[in-house]
Amino acid sequence: MDTRKVILLSVLVFLLAVLAFLFFKNSGRERIEKAEELPKPPVSTEAPAEKAMRKVTLFFLREEDSKLIPEERWIVSDPSAVREAEEAMAELIKGSQTGLVSSLPAETKLVQLFITKEGVAYVDFSKDLVDKHPSGSTAEISTVYSIVNSLAYNFKPIKKVFILIEGEERETLGGHISLDHPFLPDYSLISRE
Amino acid sequence: MAKRRAQILYGPGLVLLVLVLALSAAGVSGSKEMKTIVIDPGHGGMEPGAKGKFGTLEKNITLAISFKLKALIEQNLPYRVVLTRDKDIDVSMDNRSAIANNNDAVLFVSIHTNGSQRKKAQGSETFFMNLNASDEETRKLAYMENTSAELEKQIEDKNKDEVKMILWDMAQSAYIKQSSQLAEEIQKELNIFLGTENRGIKQAPFKVLKGVACPAILVEVAFISNPEEEQKLIKDDFQQRVAAAIYQGLKKYTKLFS
Repeated sequence: MDTRKVILLSVLVFLLAVLAFLFFKNSGRERIEKAEELPKPPVSTEAPAEKAMRKVTLFFLREEDSKLIPEERWIVSDPSAVREAEEAMAELIKGSQTGLVSSLPAETKLVQLFITKEGVAYVDFSKDLVDKHPSGSTAEISTVYSIVNSLAYNFKPIKKVFILIEGEERETLGGHISLDHPFLPDYSLISRE
Repeated sequence: MAKRRAQILYGPGLVLLVLVLALSAAGVSGSKEMKTIVIDPGHGGMEPGAKGKFGTLEKNITLAISFKLKALIEQNLPYRVVLTRDKDIDVSMDNRSAIANNNDAVLFVSIHTNGSQRKKAQGSETFFMNLNASDEETRKLAYMENTSAELEKQIEDKNKDEVKMILWDMAQSAYIKQSSQLAEEIQKELNIFLGTENRGIKQAPFKVLKGVACPAILVEVAFISNPEEEQKLIKDDFQQRVAAAIYQGLKKYTKLFS
């Protein structure tokens, strides 16, 4: 073998090694990302033994009247009220487990939630809450108060709720109810039956 | 930070709101011309409002009813009528209340057809403004309503225009009582004329009512999201009865104050 061939061969070997390294590195990363995306186990109405759970009351609608109807749900208990409130909102978006009507479009995603020292919860939803909303005064009131009541009813640190869309203040959901201020809960809208 | 801006502005907004009311009242008393009623056909243009199963759009029904109501008022009552829109165009919420305030409106009627996630939801209702204020804010408001004349004296003329713009934000809070009375009169007539389910008078923080500096209500005539009521809403004679009901309510309300 002359020197040229030796150099060519070693270059080829080196390139192969680099390619192999990149291939395994990337596939490893994909595997990690996929693991993170795995859906969380569904929350059942029965409290599983492994994790500490807590009961929350969420508010939906039903065809028979225009009141908000409570539905109980178990969520994973967490020392952080923010974490628990996020779980509660995720459950509210998933919809009723007992055939009640949901007041949030199923496509809605919770972007972020935080609670100020003054007790105002800022709940940031994806634009689907606006784009997929049926509009109408009653529809907007239902959406606002199923969110506001579901948060204030279950979480003591939350006194008022400010609804945001993709990080920004929004005038209304569909041209009716003003979203430019934090909402106090209105428990008079809840069915007393 | 921007997220908290509204919260920070809320307090000063409350403090200033009474001033615009005093200023606009001064404007009204200065003119001897025919008084103005502003009718607001809900939605329009790119913003259709609620949609019916058969494709009916809220914006078209509200405009049709508004034209009929305008005609009834102008034929029978000594009032000038201004519409916030007379064709299928976008009008911002702020502009709708500004049209009322710039015309020194004595009454503001916003016309809508309702929508719900519940297919069976039906009936008619009349809304007036609710600020959803905390107890502390309610006390502040009550205090300011009582001391508005005092506050007015403290504003220098050169600042008035600027103040007026800011104050529109919460102008409606001084007219809640009259607005609830107006809502009651109109709701009674809707029940008589339409025979739709009586959903009563209700309070909610409507964006379009918030800045209006006169008694103001929002009528929700039937549910466009309910196929049966959608069929009613598209009929000319039903729309005419809606206009007649609102007209009767307005007439009775104006009699209470003349």
